[in-house]
Amino acid sequence: MKQKKNKEMAAKPSSKAISKAEALVVHLISGFGLAVAFWVAHNVHSISLTSHPSLTLRLIWVFECLAVILLYSRYRKDHERCSYFKAVGRGLLGLPAGALINALGAIVLGAPAGIQYLPRTINWSLVMALFTIAPAASVFGSSWTDWQRIFAFTKQSTYILKFDSIRECRCSKLILAIGSTLLIEPVDYMICLPAHGAVIGAWFGAFPMPLDWERPWQEWPICVSYGAIVGYLVGIVASLGFMLVRQHVKGD
Amino acid sequence: MPWLTCTKLTLFTIAGVAIQMVGLSIFVFGFFPVKPTLPGHSGSESFRAPQCDLVRNESESDLHPHQLRSLYKELSGMPPAFDQLILMVIDGLPAELVLGKDGKPPSKALMEAMPYTRSLLANGMAIGFHAKAAPPTVTMPRLKAMVSGAIGGFLDVAMNFNTQAMLDDNLLGQFFKIGWKMVMLGDETWLKLFPGLFLRHDGVSSFFVKDTVHVDQNVSRHLGYELSRDDWDFLILHYLGLDHVGHIGGRNSALMAPKLREMDEVVKMIHMNSILNQKNDEGQTLLVVVSDHGMTESGNHGGSSYEETDSLALFIGVKNNISDDFLSTHNIIHQVDIAPTLALLFGVPIPKNNVGVLMAEIFGYLSEDQQMKALELNSWQLLRLLQAQIPGLSCRNYPRDGLRDDQDFRIAKCSGSMEAMFCCLYTNAALLQKSWMSKEISSREDYTSTVVAYYEFLRTASEWLSHRATDKPVRLLTVGIAAMLLSCLILLSLLFHTCKEVYLREQSLFDLESIKQTWYLDETFVLGVVLILIVSMASSSMVEEEQYIWHFVASTLNLLLLRKTIKCPTGAGAQDLHSSSKGKNKISFCRLSSISVVLISGRILRGWHQGGVNWTNLPDISKWLEQAGTDNVKSIQLVSCLLVMSLSLCVLFLFGFNMKFVLVIGFSFLMSGLLVLQHFVKHQDALPWFVRFSTSEMGLSHDLYMSTSVPNEVQNNMLLVKLRESLYLVGWEYISFWCLLQLLLQQTINSMTIVLLLVQILASMLYFSYSGLHQKQWVEIAALYFLGMAGHFALGNSNSLATIDVAGAFMHGDVCLCEGHKLSPISRECRFHTTPQTDAWLPLSGSAGVELHFANSIHHRIADNEEPSFCLERLFPKVHLCLYHNYMRLHGCICSSYNSDIYLLGAGVEEKDAI
Repeated sequence: MKQKKNKEMAAKPSSKAISKAEALVVHLISGFGLAVAFWVAHNVHSISLTSHPSLTLRLIWVFECLAVILLYSRYRKDHERCSYFKAVGRGLLGLPAGALINALGAIVLGAPAGIQYLPRTINWSLVMALFTIAPAASVFGSSWTDWQRIFAFTKQSTYILKFDSIRECRCSKLILAIGSTLLIEPVDYMICLPAHGAVIGAWFGAFPMPLDWERPWQEWPICVSYGAIVGYLVGIVASLGFMLVRQHVKGD
Repeated sequence: MPWLTCTKLTLFTIAGVAIQMVGLSIFVFGFFPVKPTLPGHSGSESFRAPQCDLVRNESESDLHPHQLRSLYKELSGMPPAFDQLILMVIDGLPAELVLGKDGKPPSKALMEAMPYTRSLLANGMAIGFHAKAAPPTVTMPRLKAMVSGAIGGFLDVAMNFNTQAMLDDNLLGQFFKIGWKMVMLGDETWLKLFPGLFLRHDGVSSFFVKDTVHVDQNVSRHLGYELSRDDWDFLILHYLGLDHVGHIGGRNSALMAPKLREMDEVVKMIHMNSILNQKNDEGQTLLVVVSDHGMTESGNHGGSSYEETDSLALFIGVKNNISDDFLSTHNIIHQVDIAPTLALLFGVPIPKNNVGVLMAEIFGYLSEDQQMKALELNSWQLLRLLQAQIPGLSCRNYPRDGLRDDQDFRIAKCSGSMEAMFCCLYTNAALLQKSWMSKEISSREDYTSTVVAYYEFLRTASEWLSHRATDKPVRLLTVGIAAMLLSCLILLSLLFHTCKEVYLREQSLFDLESIKQTWYLDETFVLGVVLILIVSMASSSMVEEEQYIWHFVASTLNLLLLRKTIKCPTGAGAQDLHSSSKGKNKISFCRLSSISVVLISGRILRGWHQGGVNWTNLPDISKWLEQAGTDNVKSIQLVSCLLVMSLSLCVLFLFGFNMKFVLVIGFSFLMSGLLVLQHFVKHQDALPWFVRFSTSEMGLSHDLYMSTSVPNEVQNNMLLVKLRESLYLVGWEYISFWCLLQLLLQQTINSMTIVLLLVQILASMLYFSYSGLHQKQWVEIAALYFLGMAGHFALGNSNSLATIDVAGAFMHGDVCLCEGHKLSPISRECRFHTTPQTDAWLPLSGSAGVELHFANSIHHRIADNEEPSFCLERLFPKVHLCLYHNYMRLHGCICSSYNSDIYLLGAGVEEKDAI
């Protein structure tokens, strides 16, 4: 069913700017991928994240991998030089690299580094890579400036001076102006906000771990995964919201 | 003209700090109220009504104990039913484990663990109570509450470690006055509380929490002897083992059932020997089994949860007509009720500060008027205490014997102020009693209503008094908090004004508008951390596991700094120094590598000690190293010492100061470092091995360091630069010498931790020095502070008192084994030779085949339930035990080793009170 939808989308003439509806569909499918993964885990294999974290996380990343890399590759930046399959390949390459970065980050922050936790850490970091690095890899490839723009807002200083011109605007519009100046294209929102949401969610998700509630879900990486998923979903909603408001402003 | 002059700033700062301190002290005094207690001891006046206190028998103190005893007997009109008391205190036993909860019996495993006690309860030969203990649930305040019936202030916890003799009126003092002979076996807290009261005693220490076996054996081994003798009237047994079991493994520890079985054996032995065996004319023995407090699921105590306050009171030997198991285990009393009950049972005055109420179930054997008398005595005592607390209370205004002729008077409804209420309740009871006594044929109904009236008064008074003992004066607390808030406001406004001044000045000097207006992520994060810390203090497990938070926060900040570095590789301040792209690359590389070094070493530090309270058993690097063998630990110590030395020297000479002064400093550092090294090597067997290591490691660390750091060009010889250099020099010397000192003082396993901490500090310094103006200084301070806190926990510390590292003291000082570590009967075969001249040197590794390195490793062996070949508790008393690196010196002992067992042939000083 997903494949069919992809084909439908591919049939449409792809433009650089994504419409509202398209973004909605993309986000819905990524959310749907998560839901399907959980459904399969629960109903087919009858496992849950708490009972079999490693297996469930593997299911999640397999389904998300299909949804995310295939979808985001359509919105690749350099349409002329890069084919669809090359973008998919970039995304697939970005997956282990992103997993490595995420795993290193988690271990530095105190995730257990023992051998018995290795499968869980690998699966978790693959999921995190799909939330953060892989879509960006599909879209941007090796364009360092784009990466910097997405993950570090380095263009900030150049836009600060623009604030003076719009100082008269109301406060809410100011925020929108920041948003629109920093992230130029809709696809930027779609990558940046969920990725940051997932990382921040995972960070907050780690807080219950040292508590002595003695619940099974306090184990690494269960509550961190829950936090990441919640953060990712919040990021999706936020990115949709931003796009709606931005188009509204543009319309004005 | 700036608003903030120097004098104003100083004055306001001083005022703010002073107000803060005053507010804090007011708050502390309010939060830990010290309640005044009544001085003196109850005497014969406690057998008279409080209204006729005026006649006081002054000659009472001259009376012989036996005369005093008969005087009390005569005055009270109650013959003591028992004349021997055995008080068995089981430290930390929750009543739930013996009596069950909510009327349900305890689990089957626990029932099977205490078969004898269960049978006693089932046959009605014992009455069990859930005795509700008042917080703080630690041993000393609870013992005080049991013997004096008073509820102390919360500050008693602080005194728990330095117990002072108990001066308030208490049961033991009263028993001593009537000439009882007392024997104490068990926790030495009793000895500190009541010095000189005991005929014989054998104290054990509760310091070695990991010992669960010998601490109880040392109590039980005297038991047979004591039970066979009859020269004592009061025997106290205080078993600590169960509390230790709880501290090690919690309620569900595997050691719990055997420990309960052991306690049951003790109860059985006492019951068989002294209660069942006695003849009727010889008087009776009462066995009271109590626990001072309960424990939580994880075995801790101190708080006020149900699990912790649910302590046990079990009266064995009381004639009881209730044989229903449910009824005899479902009673709930207060722990303070034990004191008046025991006082009345044994015919001594109730201690003056008692707030407890006698337990009616125990007095079932007495006749009705004797029970009434007991109630009256308890009421008089409480009324006296009330009169002392409420100065105006005399109850004289109430018609004591009004309505004399009116036989069926109505009980007044009691309401109104506290004083009126107490008086009214008391008068009601007294009147009812009078009317009951005056009747020729006493009816059951009158008796019951009198008892009910007395209990109403007693319960109300007891509740009010115990609340008063723990009440906090709200007004004082409010004033304290308000003062602290005020000082906070003053200091914050000062800070605000200073910032404004600085900002204005800066604005006039440079045009930095664009820089200062942006808030960076790391700065926001540092402020957020303050909030996170405040919130985390609300959860007890977050306090217990604080090391996770600090590591998490420190690494997150460093990750944010890493992100910032990637974002703009060169610091803004460095741009004027290095304009070429090559220099920029170098700088960005330096910043990246130094921050990664901080991150990596931070992670290793986190894994070094598991720390905390709940997950200490998880594997960590230090445990792994200790398992790998002592040689490895030793070599790590040497390597880390060398690393510290080479690092410090490198950093010192790297900057190429053209000063002979630096050479001198470097030389002195080298010398002291070599001294430390020599200290380490002294006990090392394999010297060639050390030489090999030293050469290789020296070179390695040199290379490593040279690659990561870049000489900071000193551009000119301005005075400011000189000053900066010398400040840097002083600071660095301070850090490096401190590291050397810590290498000496810390445990061997921690030596690598110190190197890693040094590396972290160095790398952070490098990072921040290359960041220049780009980094706000308070972020730097926060980052270093986070590193410091994480490092504190990385050394194996935690917020639990149990992890205070005294191993350093054990290594370099003398351990004096005090009383309580006596030779157990098993090793009595050892012949006693008094040879004070000879010292025994036990090699801890090598020839004897025993590898014991520190005192704590000796205790580890006991905790692991191995058969300890050598342990502190089996040593002779008054033997000075000194642990050196490879040797344990026993002052004045002869020993020999055979088949990897050590035999003590003689002890230095003979036991004075040896049996």
